[in-house]
Amino acid sequence: MKLNFSLWLVALLGVLPPPSAHCGPTVAPAGPRLPRPLLLRLGEEFSLRLGGGGLSSPVAAPDLFISSSSSSSGVNQALLQLTQRLLQVEQQQQEEEVVEEEKGKRSEEPPISLDLTFHLLREVLQMARAEQMAQQADSNRRMMDSFGK
Amino acid sequence: MRVMERTFREQLFFLVLCLSVLKGDSRYIENNEISKDELYSFFNSELKREIPEELMYRRPLRCLDMVAVEGQFTFTAEHPQLSCAAFLMAEPTEVITVDYDSVDIDCRAGDFITVFDGWVMKGEKFPSSQDHPLPLYERYVDYCDSGSLRRSVRSSQNVAMVFFRIHSAGSSFTLTVRKHINPFPCNVISQSPEGSYTMVIPQQHRNCSFSIIYPVAIEISEFSLGHYNDFPKRSMPGCAESGDFVQLLGGNGIDTSKLLPITDLCISFTGPTHMKIGCDNTVVRMVSSGKFVNRVSFSYRLLDSQELQTIKLNNVEDFCFNT
Repeated sequence: MKLNFSLWLVALLGVLPPPSAHCGPTVAPAGPRLPRPLLLRLGEEFSLRLGGGGLSSPVAAPDLFISSSSSSSGVNQALLQLTQRLLQVEQQQQEEEVVEEEKGKRSEEPPISLDLTFHLLREVLQMARAEQMAQQADSNRRMMDSFGK
Repeated sequence: MRVMERTFREQLFFLVLCLSVLKGDSRYIENNEISKDELYSFFNSELKREIPEELMYRRPLRCLDMVAVEGQFTFTAEHPQLSCAAFLMAEPTEVITVDYDSVDIDCRAGDFITVFDGWVMKGEKFPSSQDHPLPLYERYVDYCDSGSLRRSVRSSQNVAMVFFRIHSAGSSFTLTVRKHINPFPCNVISQSPEGSYTMVIPQQHRNCSFSIIYPVAIEISEFSLGHYNDFPKRSMPGCAESGDFVQLLGGNGIDTSKLLPITDLCISFTGPTHMKIGCDNTVVRMVSSGKFVNRVSFSYRLLDSQELQTIKLNNVEDFCFNT
């Protein structure tokens, strides 16, 4: 019975990615929240790892993969860590969903625009063309100077 | 004696010629370093010559600006600037690349730098959604969303825009604007109110527009739709049924899908067709099915005030004149 339960637990842990040194300290749900860019970065790493499929992680598997002969206290500790990791994953997924919602809202917002009359547009266009001609003349002068050296 | 003198003169000239050839630098093959000597370098149509650092054009970027030259442009906020835009423009046969060089803005505070693939004015965009290959949301590239992943943005035509908003004084950013050759330009805004242009769509199923943001007199000198070359010069009603035709559009916006059609041409001809269009924006738009190599050549010049007045008085439908 204990063996079956341990094997089931190992299989569950095998589905979840092992933590790496880059993830930083484990964040408890009631603890202080990480800064948002860091959480997003964690989410990216997480999603990349999920997208890796069968690729093995370069980080060594943690000691959470318990053997069939572990004691009940070890099982409880593993369960606690599993619960903490699930909560962390859920928090990261919620953050990602918020980001996706914001992106969706941004795409539904009216596009950025500029209210400009054609008259003003032609004025700035004329200034830009004058600048272009002046810059071309300056560039030609520099080239001719370098040719003469 | 004269023969001897002539022979001596010829020999002397030959000797001088040989000496000058041997002394000169023409025996050396110069490498102007335009392209590297790589195995597959000829597959790359991009010239490898970069602008030397000392020749890079630099100037500050203004809140409302238009840039028609290559170079580096730095915007530094002396006070909060919440609605700024810079139009970028190149020659009809060029596209624009915008690179972020050094950006010091606070995205969380609401600052943004957004590059738009085209021009937007009063909510209207050029090219229109019908004529642009990308969906609208992909044409806006926000630095705060994708800055670290996408530090270089390339336009699909000769115009682009940068919108930016800076809340804090002292924030700044630098953009490097470069131009690249576009061998088959499709959507173009003319830099000048006069000139000439030939639009070619080489068997592509796409619609291309040439926009002139001035009231102009336009002369279409040649128009060919592949095999329709022998028909007499005329324009038929109902060109929309044809898969390949040229539209002449006019209006007071830059969105070609909202302009009014002045005439359609769907029979090839050679010979000038003159029209005077008193609109703020005159567009030659080619609709191509992809079956033929379609080509239209035209020239245009600015209408003077007297011509504009005449058009205004003679026009029954004053759709280009605001009351």
